[in-house]
Amino acid sequence: MAKNILPDLLSSWEETYKKGQLTLWIFLALKDGQKYVDEIKEFIESKSKNTINCEEQSLYRNLRKYEHIDVVSFENKKGNKGPDRKYYFLTEIGTELLEKFIERNIKLFFSTEINNLLK
Amino acid sequence: MKTLITPNLLKFTLATIILTIIFRIGLSTSITNKMTLAVILCSVFYGILMWFNGNYFGRKEYEYLPIYDIGFRFHLSTFLAHNLISILWFVFAFESKYENIKIIYITTLIWSAFLIIHMIYYLSVRKSSIKNLDKKDLFE
Repeated sequence: MAKNILPDLLSSWEETYKKGQLTLWIFLALKDGQKYVDEIKEFIESKSKNTINCEEQSLYRNLRKYEHIDVVSFENKKGNKGPDRKYYFLTEIGTELLEKFIERNIKLFFSTEINNLLK
Repeated sequence: MKTLITPNLLKFTLATIILTIIFRIGLSTSITNKMTLAVILCSVFYGILMWFNGNYFGRKEYEYLPIYDIGFRFHLSTFLAHNLISILWFVFAFESKYENIKIIYITTLIWSAFLIIHMIYYLSVRKSSIKNLDKKDLFE
C-alpha cells in the first residue's frame, strides 16, 4: 500500500520543496557571472539537473522585482544578432543578501552532523 | 510617486475616461428621452465594461510588477476620472435638463467614504511591503 503512494508523496514533497528555490538559483546564476535571461535559464536547468524548470516569463517577472528592490541590475550589451541584450548582475546589496542567506540557511547542511545524516 | 503611476495604470485611466464619456452620453440622452430601461442598461454595461477594464489592466500590472496596492491605485484613478468627467459634463452643459448636479456631489461624497476606507486599508498593508512590493510576494 505504502509502496504505491511513494511516487505521489515524493512528488508532493518536491513540489513544496521547490517553491521558494527559484530566487536562490537565479542569484547563484548571477553570482557565477553576468547573464542574460536565456543564459540564466540554461544555468538553472543544467546545474539543478533539470529538477528546477523555469519559464522565461517567470524569470523576467522575478528579475523586474529584484531590479526594483535594487538587488539586481543590468547593462545592455550587443547580442550576436538583433537588439541589445540585458545582462543582469547582482548589486552590492544583492551579493550581501545572497551571502547572508547562504550563511543562515544553506551552510548548516555542511555541518558534519547533518552531512552524516544526509549520507 | 513615479513608480506608482505605471503605464498600465495610465492605460486603465484612459480607458476609464473613454468609457465614462460614453456612459455620460448614453445616460444624459436616455434621461432626456425618459427611457428608464436605457438608463438601467447604460449603467449595467458601464459597470460590466469597467470590471473588464480593471481586470485586464490589473492583471497585466500584477504580472509586470505587483506594486502595492494595485486595487487602491486603480480605485483612486477611477474615482478621479469618473467624478471629474461627471462634473465637467455639467460645466460644459452636456447634461439632460432633468439631471441635477447635486446627485453628482452626493455620489462623490458617498464614494469618498468608501475610498477613505480603502485608503486606510492601503496604508496598513503598505507597512508589510518593501519599496512598494509585497514582502510575501517578493521572492519565489
